[in-house]
Amino acid sequence: MSERPTIVLLPGLLCDASIWEAQRTALEPYADIRIADFSQLASIETMAHSALAVAEGPLIAIGHSMGARVAMEMVRLAPERIEKLALIDTGVDARREGEEAKRQVMIDLAFAEGMEALADRWLPPMLHEGRTEDQSLLAPLRAMVMRSTPEQHHRQIQALLNRPNVRPHLPNIACPTLVMVGRQDRWSPLAQHEEMASLIPNAELVVIEDSGHMSLLEQPEQVSEALLRFLGFRNDNTRANHAATRGLKPMGEDAAPDRIPDTPLFDRKRSLRGYRINKMAMGLGTPANREAFRENESAYLDRFGLTSEEKEAVMSRNWREMVRLGGNLFFILKISAVDPVRITEIGAHQAGMEHADFLRDRLGKK
Amino acid sequence: MAKLIGGLGTSHVPSISAALDKGLRDTPDWKPFFDGYLPGQEWVKENKPDVAVVIFNDHGNTFFLDKVPTFAVGCAEEYHPVDEGWGPRAIAPFRGAVDFSWHFIDKLVENRFDPMICQEIEVDHGLQVPMELFWGKPDEWPVKVVPIFVNVIQYPIPLPSRCYEMGRVLRQAIESYDSDERFVVVGTGGLSHQLQGARAGFVNPEADQAFLNDIANDPDKLANMSREQYVEMFGSEGAELMMWLVMRGAMDPDVVVRHKHYFVPASMTGAGMIVMENQAIATSAEAA
Repeated sequence: MSERPTIVLLPGLLCDASIWEAQRTALEPYADIRIADFSQLASIETMAHSALAVAEGPLIAIGHSMGARVAMEMVRLAPERIEKLALIDTGVDARREGEEAKRQVMIDLAFAEGMEALADRWLPPMLHEGRTEDQSLLAPLRAMVMRSTPEQHHRQIQALLNRPNVRPHLPNIACPTLVMVGRQDRWSPLAQHEEMASLIPNAELVVIEDSGHMSLLEQPEQVSEALLRFLGFRNDNTRANHAATRGLKPMGEDAAPDRIPDTPLFDRKRSLRGYRINKMAMGLGTPANREAFRENESAYLDRFGLTSEEKEAVMSRNWREMVRLGGNLFFILKISAVDPVRITEIGAHQAGMEHADFLRDRLGKK
Repeated sequence: MAKLIGGLGTSHVPSISAALDKGLRDTPDWKPFFDGYLPGQEWVKENKPDVAVVIFNDHGNTFFLDKVPTFAVGCAEEYHPVDEGWGPRAIAPFRGAVDFSWHFIDKLVENRFDPMICQEIEVDHGLQVPMELFWGKPDEWPVKVVPIFVNVIQYPIPLPSRCYEMGRVLRQAIESYDSDERFVVVGTGGLSHQLQGARAGFVNPEADQAFLNDIANDPDKLANMSREQYVEMFGSEGAELMMWLVMRGAMDPDVVVRHKHYFVPASMTGAGMIVMENQAIATSAEAA
């Protein structure tokens, strides 16, 4: 049985798996990723049931817009199964006055003129005001909307119109919750998220800069970074140094020190996390790979699929950071065969000491 | 039947062979370290073992994380040095004791140890350095080797007590082996050192000295320690020391320490050596 956590990503209205591409890529090294499919469903509750059925056991639920409403419904239905929750660009109230009529206009439009017409009308207000003409953003969104059908749109609008008012339930959400919103989200504004974060006992609010409602696509890196940090897969900058000396925190817990202070044991989590970086370094055991590393280090690192963070750590010879990212000294030491550095210098760097001080104070050299 | 003539213990720090390769043997940093091994080398010359069973760990050179055997036993004709990043070192390949290796593997499995069986495998400094420290750097090794690889890198690593028990099976295998060959068992690794984390550079000379005493006189105590205690006391990489327990488990409860040496730091490591004989054998040798 897999020991990796399972994350279920919950898309919003008219969205499919493609909207999560960046986040899926970012989270995949650390967790099993499932993406819910709501194309055939017509109520928030059935969507929640179907999302709960993607896997057995504990889940991390991450929802965008309508998907976030589904996530909150999942907590209501099965609070014991939801370990963590991330709610992105969403809301908690039931149908507003006059909403049904506006929605009906869109339903009619889709049936009468097709999905392309719906995309033209529906998408621009979803985006940051300054980017409504940005084709790099619009093209994939339009393509996604056009993969959908007027019927799907109709079903999902039914689900939205009949959505429950979750506000009274927010104080009952016990799991750690990330509330996240694009600062320029005109559809579900920041103020609404501030309120949600204040009503959920264990919530933190993250604002995505320069983003409208489609933050997953508008600012994919900001969203992924926030999720990685929230889920404990990566530490934020202010804690990076601290984390480097204390090792990684166990999944699903707050930052815990190593059982033996400042002594990272190469356990399952580190091994999984550091697999790519260690495999890259293991590769340096052959002359051809050492040559490739010398010739074009960046390209060599890319062959092993290192993330930008991992590449940065390797290319800057940041040993402490490499270890924090799961690198094991026995593997990453091979870098010093290509780019010589003494093992004691690597030790001093991790200890945060000058080399001479390290030799004297740690190793007792005169 | 084959005979166990001694148990050796030593560090296997790669800088040791690097120092030899660079001709640093007699520099102030290294001379006291190498000189301390001279009595061990003398002992080997006098006692002429035919087979050395060497317990060590691979350091991410032969095994990657894709396949990590907890215990692996070599049964190859020859063991070549592996490229650790600097190219394979210019030392003679080690001759295998193939027949004994298979016999040992049989005994292991009969005794509920289930090792990985390796007919083709290269060896890193974990085996090379101890061999050079005791046998020098001959054109051809005068002794055959049986490598036992122990995973002490990827957690979960084995329990120290398990290493000790494996030593008992090794003893059985040697004593049931139909041959007149003379065996030594070489436990390698340690002593205290830590290469990773903010505690990098941790050495613990007091604990090391106590270990060199306890490995002879109170091995049960060392076998009953937890892995965590090893890491705490000897550093994350110093936990390698548990491999000496395979050697010690192969010996009698009562041993005589022939030689002992301790030096710190060899590179970033507390380095130690011990030569032990079973008391029964040592006494009869002296009587004769």
